[in-house]
Amino acid sequence: MRIFVQLVLVLSLTLLATASFAESEAMKVLERMGVAAKQLSYEGVFAYQTGKNLQSIRIIHRADEQGEVERLVSLNGSAREVIRTNDLVTCIFPEGKRVHVNRRPLGRGFPSDLLRRLDSATPYYEVVMGQDGRVADRQAAELIIKPIDSYRYGFRLWVDKKSDLLLKSELLAENGNVLETFAFSMIELNKTIPDSLLQPQISGKEMTWNRTEPETGINMATKQNVSKWQIAWLPEGFSLVAQQNRLKANNGASVEQRVYSDGLSSVSIFIEKIRARHSHLHGGSTMGAVNAFGTILSAHFVTVVGEVPAKTVEKVGASISYKGDSEQ
Amino acid sequence: MTANHTELLSALVDGELQGQELDKALQLLNNNELTREQLQRYQFASDVLHGNTRDNQRIDLSASVAQALDEEPVYSDKTKEKVNKASVIVLPKQFWQQAAGLAMAASIGALAVVGVVSQPQNQLVPIRTVANEVPVETTTVATTGNRWTVGEAEVADRLNTYLVDHNEYAGASDVFSYARVVSYEAGQ
Repeated sequence: MRIFVQLVLVLSLTLLATASFAESEAMKVLERMGVAAKQLSYEGVFAYQTGKNLQSIRIIHRADEQGEVERLVSLNGSAREVIRTNDLVTCIFPEGKRVHVNRRPLGRGFPSDLLRRLDSATPYYEVVMGQDGRVADRQAAELIIKPIDSYRYGFRLWVDKKSDLLLKSELLAENGNVLETFAFSMIELNKTIPDSLLQPQISGKEMTWNRTEPETGINMATKQNVSKWQIAWLPEGFSLVAQQNRLKANNGASVEQRVYSDGLSSVSIFIEKIRARHSHLHGGSTMGAVNAFGTILSAHFVTVVGEVPAKTVEKVGASISYKGDSEQ
Repeated sequence: MTANHTELLSALVDGELQGQELDKALQLLNNNELTREQLQRYQFASDVLHGNTRDNQRIDLSASVAQALDEEPVYSDKTKEKVNKASVIVLPKQFWQQAAGLAMAASIGALAVVGVVSQPQNQLVPIRTVANEVPVETTTVATTGNRWTVGEAEVADRLNTYLVDHNEYAGASDVFSYARVVSYEAGQ
């Protein structure tokens, strides 16, 4: 009997160690993926599918001593573009003759701070290696990321075995349905990217330019006025990771953005003082896998946006209240 | 009008009033014609300062006119589709447009838009309805896709702006996250 107990104990420890090693290995792949996204230069075409909609998008990413520049161009329909540099995000919408220019938040990395956040994500997701596969004619390792509850989505990621670049990503609902798929169909790595490939196809002439700027120091001094908000509920593990105030140049409205994240999933809460706008979202709205919930509180548009389930943005939105002068 | 009333109106335009102060401002507006006129001037000045007057923007109004005509029941039956859109809070446009309308008057196109959507222009609505008693067009969510399930372009535009900002903090698939922005079907 004693031998049997010892045998069970040894087997249990072995299984635990194996599972731990697998998760550790998966986390290492995830970390290398974050580094590759920042350090590689590449050009490719990927498909973005959500519901019945399929888009082909060309992506050009250059990383060098100057930093990073990235350009995405829609290959179907109108040639919409997004150009990201170290400090600016420029969105070009030819059909509406509009250009949106947003200054990137101060101190942010590019393209994201995934690496910094990974550690905090581990208690809320199970990250394991899946089966090897082939994406865009390259061998890829599969990562399966399962959330601990239904307030966040799961992921399946395919990472290039040679370069560690993310080649394919699926966002998964609680029932396992695929909500969004991003997948390279063609990619060239480590190629020299000339400046011309990073220039927009459309000149700025005849376009309406909308700029969003961080508030000045003086305006930030009044930040107290828009910070008197309380968020009573967030999914377990979500904490405040960023906060910024912006001025929308087209109507002068001050917009406060608070970002809460568990490390892998995130929601942004936008609080915008009502100026001359007339309508706002009341309740939920969806675009692909991104959900939004809007309401009006104390003459402010309050909106929760995130790539999380609808019930999450709704519950977060319903828990927001204005504390007024009582909170200090 | 006292200096205190002037200050109260200024705060009202900036949306900074709460509770008793808001009630006081509303009472003042209801009882005093001069106060209402003063509020319009303040709102107009605020709109000009913040670039909200329509004639300051280089906008091709033909698209807006066409869209408004398209949504008018007299001209098409597309309004039936509204029951499939997400809910939108419609704030009292006439309050904000009272002042902005002065600037809009210079544009024939703008007047055409106002005419088509039949917004009453001669009524001042207490701002309290902005926060508490807004008329709500209750509808349900339609199919999902590459655009927000909302009925109004203005609301979709705001959500898109938020989406761009939120993308900075996207999840594990962040390499691809801006695909949502370039894939947006704005024209539909």
